[in-house]
Amino acid sequence: MADIILDFQDVSFRYEADEDEAPMPLCVRHVNLQIEKGSFTVILGHNGSGKSTLAKLSNSILVPESGKVLVNGMDTANEDLSYDIRRTVGVVFQNPDNQIVASVVEEDVAFGPENLGVPPEEIRKRVDDALKAVGMYEYRGHAPHKLSGGQKQRVAIAGMIAMLPECLVLDEPTAMLDPQGRREVLETIHRLNNERGITIVLITHFMEEAVDADRVLVMDDGEILLDGTPQAVFRERETVRRVGLELPKAAELSFDLRADGVPLPPDILTAQALADAVYTLLGEGKHADS
Amino acid sequence: MIRDITIGQYFPGNSPIHKLDPRAKLVLTFVYIVSIFFCKNFAALAISVAYLVFAVLLSRISLKLLAKSLKPIVIIVLLTSVLQIFYNDDGTVLFQRGWFEITTGGLVMAAFTTVRIIALVLASSLLTYTTSPTLLTDAIERLFSPLKKIKINVHSIAMMMTIALRFIPLLIDEVDKIMSAQKARGAELDTGSLLKRGQALVPVFIPLFVNAFTRAYDLAFAMECRCYRGGEGRTRLRVMKFCARDYVAFGVTIVCLAGIAVSNYFLTALI
Repeated sequence: MADIILDFQDVSFRYEADEDEAPMPLCVRHVNLQIEKGSFTVILGHNGSGKSTLAKLSNSILVPESGKVLVNGMDTANEDLSYDIRRTVGVVFQNPDNQIVASVVEEDVAFGPENLGVPPEEIRKRVDDALKAVGMYEYRGHAPHKLSGGQKQRVAIAGMIAMLPECLVLDEPTAMLDPQGRREVLETIHRLNNERGITIVLITHFMEEAVDADRVLVMDDGEILLDGTPQAVFRERETVRRVGLELPKAAELSFDLRADGVPLPPDILTAQALADAVYTLLGEGKHADS
Repeated sequence: MIRDITIGQYFPGNSPIHKLDPRAKLVLTFVYIVSIFFCKNFAALAISVAYLVFAVLLSRISLKLLAKSLKPIVIIVLLTSVLQIFYNDDGTVLFQRGWFEITTGGLVMAAFTTVRIIALVLASSLLTYTTSPTLLTDAIERLFSPLKKIKINVHSIAMMMTIALRFIPLLIDEVDKIMSAQKARGAELDTGSLLKRGQALVPVFIPLFVNAFTRAYDLAFAMECRCYRGGEGRTRLRVMKFCARDYVAFGVTIVCLAGIAVSNYFLTALI
């Protein structure tokens, strides 16, 4: 079990209700989830499915009502461990503007290591390295409010990378970005996973972002509904639709084409794969004709 | 129009003024501002203006930008100098009609007041334009650290200032957006009596405050995620160290102060 970094054991959580009001319903219900080191996991769910709460439970910002969350074996309920937990699991939130503390990019990236008491020369190294990792090194002297959304989010990610976390949990990091910004952020996340072996948990409601993951989870009403490879999860079209989500467009189209009798192979998730499959099909057709 | 506000903004650069130790800059700006009010004749005032012009040129901050910082105080400057003309009746009378008279003393006072206010604003703008807010608040934290002995949490105050300065441009953008949204729904923000305009601003400020609280909440989470736990055990990216440049700046300032003192002593005081 040494290679499990995040371990949710029968975790339930509810937010506190205002006084004189009925208790809030559970927003995470008996979740059991193990995240392997170095893996790339995507958690899908529509608004209110409890997926953002899961992010806050993962680094002891919130503590479960029942059950346990272990980060590298450390219990998030133990307050003495919360700083070790937070430097192991970094969380990036949706709105980049609200995560940036300083008025200059490099000073913001330095904020985390400064809090950890890292010596200045080492901070400098980590800041430069983190900014290079997200491709924002040229912007180190800029003011954050003059950057684009995608650039700001990459700065927020660099702020986490500078703390040398083993795992990054990203809570809808692309929800407020335009397509260009979304692409930049996704490429960055994948690069961090491939090149540095940082474990990624990406929480999102964009299906396309799940296609390249090692593992996909679908959440609804605080429970994990589906869990498996992207191929396995997107085979369950009815379940995915029932919770208010849609398959990736290419998968949706190939489903419909197969339903109409076009003999496409199963598990097509990207436009490229669909185009290739159609191309092969047409090629075979020609063969049959000649 | 609202985007013109440049208070507390930082314009990154590489000039000698940018590179000065922020503590030195802070102390020098303070000393300078006090010194303007000790100028008692035009020679002294000229020295202090020359010092400021020299600093501005060194900083390579565009004059247009500096002029912008003066915009909000035009009315204050006009009002105070007019009042000086009204109330001061020293010197010879140049013009008189009924109870209203303009005297040389009044004009001199008005000129001094105008120059002083403008120099004061320019000097403080130069400080914030050329110093990153983090460094500036860091400098404040260090300069005031003796206050820790009387249980004042200097670090928290400095952190609040950093965050406030960081969010000024964001909130300005937000006011702009909300105003456009309210205008699109027919709100009249630019017309009507003063009272009406004031009332029209209420639907601008309520969403602004609500958003500010949401932001504060989010930011607090983000800071916790980044292991923020107050000032204890914190290190800094940049270590502040006085170097030759800072001593030169102090030297130049002392020469300038001496010049002011000499002209105050040897020449007749006008005010």
